Amino acid sequence: MALRTPVRTEAPRGGRTARRDRRPRPSAAGARIWTWLTLPGTVWMSVFFIASLLLVAAISFGTTDQLGDPRFGTNLGNLQALTDPAYRDVMLRSLGFALLTSVICLLIAYPVAYAVALHAGRFKNALIAAIVVPFFANYLVRMYGWSVLLSDDGPVLRLLRAVGLADAHTKILNTGFGVIAGLVYGFVVFMIIPLYAAMERMDTSLIEAGRDLYGGPLRTFWFVTVPATRQGAGAGVVLVFLPAMGDFVSAQFMGGPNQIMIGNLIQDKFFEGQDWPLGSALTMALMAVLLIAMFGYLRRARKDEAEATR
Amino acid sequence: MTPTAATPAVRLDHVSKEFNGSHAVRDLELDIAAGEFFSLLGPSGCGKTTTLRMIGGFADPTEGAVLLSGEDVTALPPNKRNVNTVFQSYALFDHLSVADNIGFGLKRKGVPKPEIRERVGAMIDLVQLGGMAERKPRTLSGGQRQRVALARALVNRPAVLLLDEPLAALDLKLRRQMQVELKQIQREVGITFVFVTHDQDEALTMSDRVAVMNGGRVEQCGTPEDVYERPESRFVAAFMGTSNLVGGVYRDGTVQLEGGPALPVGRRPEIGEGSQVDVSIRPEKIWLSDFEPGMPVVNGVIRETVYSGPTTTYLIELAPGVTVAALEQNTARARMEDRWAGGETVELGYDPEHCLVLSH
Amino acid sequence: MNLPASLPPRARRRRGPRRKPVFAIAVTVVFFVLLYLPIAMVVLFSFNAQKSLTIFKGFSLRWYEAFFHDNVLLGSLGMSLEVSLVAMIGSVVLGVALALGLVRHKGRLGGYAGLIMMVPLITPEIVTGVASLLLFKGLGVTLDSGTVMIAEITFSISYVTVILRSRVAALNPEVEEAAMDLGATRWQALRLVTLPALLPAILASAVLIFALVFDDFVLAYFTTGVDPQPLAVRIYSAIRFGVEPTINAVGTLMLAGSITLIGLALAIPRLFGRRGGLDLISGE
Ligand SMILES: Nc1ncnc2c1ncn2[C@@H]1O[C@H](COP(=O)(O)OP(=O)(O)O)[C@@H](O)[C@H]1O
Ligand SMILES: [Mg+2]
Repeated sequence: MALRTPVRTEAPRGGRTARRDRRPRPSAAGARIWTWLTLPGTVWMSVFFIASLLLVAAISFGTTDQLGDPRFGTNLGNLQALTDPAYRDVMLRSLGFALLTSVICLLIAYPVAYAVALHAGRFKNALIAAIVVPFFANYLVRMYGWSVLLSDDGPVLRLLRAVGLADAHTKILNTGFGVIAGLVYGFVVFMIIPLYAAMERMDTSLIEAGRDLYGGPLRTFWFVTVPATRQGAGAGVVLVFLPAMGDFVSAQFMGGPNQIMIGNLIQDKFFEGQDWPLGSALTMALMAVLLIAMFGYLRRARKDEAEATR
Repeated sequence: MTPTAATPAVRLDHVSKEFNGSHAVRDLELDIAAGEFFSLLGPSGCGKTTTLRMIGGFADPTEGAVLLSGEDVTALPPNKRNVNTVFQSYALFDHLSVADNIGFGLKRKGVPKPEIRERVGAMIDLVQLGGMAERKPRTLSGGQRQRVALARALVNRPAVLLLDEPLAALDLKLRRQMQVELKQIQREVGITFVFVTHDQDEALTMSDRVAVMNGGRVEQCGTPEDVYERPESRFVAAFMGTSNLVGGVYRDGTVQLEGGPALPVGRRPEIGEGSQVDVSIRPEKIWLSDFEPGMPVVNGVIRETVYSGPTTTYLIELAPGVTVAALEQNTARARMEDRWAGGETVELGYDPEHCLVLSH
Repeated sequence: MNLPASLPPRARRRRGPRRKPVFAIAVTVVFFVLLYLPIAMVVLFSFNAQKSLTIFKGFSLRWYEAFFHDNVLLGSLGMSLEVSLVAMIGSVVLGVALALGLVRHKGRLGGYAGLIMMVPLITPEIVTGVASLLLFKGLGVTLDSGTVMIAEITFSISYVTVILRSRVAALNPEVEEAAMDLGATRWQALRLVTLPALLPAILASAVLIFALVFDDFVLAYFTTGVDPQPLAVRIYSAIRFGVEPTINAVGTLMLAGSITLIGLALAIPRLFGRRGGLDLISGE
């Protein structure tokens, strides 16, 4: 406890009051240890995380010298460059890709979470582990395997061609769809887990009641299951949207030069273009979008909670 | 200060504890004698645990001082106080065996290993946990865990043992058994026990003295007989078992019930003539037959008969809307057919000394 | 009463056991196939006798052999292991302390710490990477395994703290008080009682961090020097600039490694015979 109750100095009210107005004493319950435990991690995070984020903000106003090294400054040019159509288009595309990814993840995750949570019986835990474990496998390796699978002469397209759903010109890689497929593959687990948790918590007798009330399974799903799991879906959308928005691997492995995202721009400014101030400005723009999304979500979640407890 | 026979083992000197501006304990003044079995009794939330925690050193008093054997320990951390605690949750160390749990305190003090082994063994025998020494606490029953918690504290031979509702989690039968055992152990080791409970039966059967607490204050402190037979406040009267409370006007050694009889209660000089009072009397202090000479007797109508094994409780209307409970032992003499039925008029006798008269 | 021999289909269905959601199950099956196929491809082609990445031409271990003779890749493996180990120890020490402090410390510092440890969880790695790179450049630090370690610790502390915090909050504070009651100082109570009680969760989060750091590519990419580079960064370059089947072998080894570690992290609480390790569902 940081704030100790102030020592009383008012006049004694009679009786055995000799000790009533004693000086501050070492706390018998000694709670200073918690400060000492909190401090190292807090300092570390402040220096290596918060300070470095502030540095990004500062450098986004900076310039580069002849060697291409960043210099501090009060240059608004980098932020203005963000409105350049070339950059603006990339940012809008990133936003669109990330949103579409969230929607597709939602469409996949609902049936999967529903089937696993409510119809998998005793295999439930094994199945959810089977979904989570590959997620911990190396992201690059998974994405690489995914790109091989979806490549022009890969198994998926060959199968689609064989059944006549695709022709010789159909492509997945090097298209926007390919990038989104990569993002979905990378992050869908973040949607399934909160939805699964929400469905597990859901009272299944609600569904039974819904059957009687609404009849068909689709209507029941829409009027019972979806509202009951809305918070899980909201959390999932945020958990997918945040990393999808910042990703640059999917666009590189699955897309072509016309499908780059903001992450690719940032990477380019830092590693190829050597324009760190502009890269920092792009990073700030990315961070701004994400913070807005996050705050929107938190406000919504708080409102939902307030309604739920009313 | 050197402790003498008269130095209390625990003294709370005007101790108060505030949490965010509200008092959990208010201006507590208590002396607990060495070797005493002392109970803090009161309803949930009245400040019993907070009081105990201040003695143990887990909470700092906002005001006042805690003295152990005459020494001011207010500023000392728990590990520097010669006091041990049996926690309400038992708070056993799950990763240690029963023997290591019990030996924890001795090891901290640097007692040599052979001595630890010997004292832990003796303690395991005392609390009847023979054969359990190497078990992990999780594998024990509630009663056994309770014994480990007790042994773990007692083995350190503290000057004072603090027990926070140690029996509350046990089922009734086990609780009764542990009450007897705990009392025996206390007599055997001669350590001062400060025992917290919300169960008045428990406090009455086990304690040398009881402090009845309410709203952070001690309402009354005395022997079990004192607090039970001679409650000094409405709260104590009500809390120490069901008690009848009937309102009336005090006049000349009687209390006049509205629309009913005047109850002789003996002269009470401290009470003003004509003032509104409540009379409290316990159900078992009301006779329905075999009156003693000189006992005041009044009439009432049986409204309800509640049979509960060894006793029967009658609800008797003395005046319109004024009902008292009377308790009869179902002795061999009292046969079913002798009991009164509803609507019958009966005589009630009582000893005015058993009446508590509380002015408003 | 005379019941009709066949009830209308709908009524019968409603009364019988719950109907299987055929559509949802079909989606789930396709999902699982697509989830595992890419991984299976990598594993399969790591054993391919030919250089082809699309046609399997017989079993061989030649790509594994190639990996174990490639000194650059082996150097990267060594660096990755070293970085993961240091980051694991550093973030577990700082993160466990922070979790304890956050739960018990109810002051302004706690509020601030609680806030800043949440920020990395919502920050995309690329932002953390850019920020770390700028900081190291600003401080004039040479990029090498040390800078990767620092960045990875920064990124991992939050995970450890989030996992541990709910565990610490679930501890019975009376147990620590009991230790002090029996003569332990606060530090001793922490060491002798609290840390052993948290051990399963600490071990599980340590294993998890090791796996996450070992697999992490983005942060490492931004904060590493040129030589050696962490294995994940090498894989990235290899995939990007011309794929060698060796990558399949490395990828398979990494998959095997991380799946083993995750399995271990999930199993640790059971090894201790109690709950309280890693809860992937609520921990996310
Ligand atoms: N740590 C605390 N913070 C705030 N209020 C507390 C705390 N501990 C106890 N209180 C309050 O103090 C009062 C007395 O609590 P306690 O001593 O636990 O009662 P008892 O043990 O008699 O049930 C209660 O109103 C309780 O809510
Ligand atoms: Mg209590």
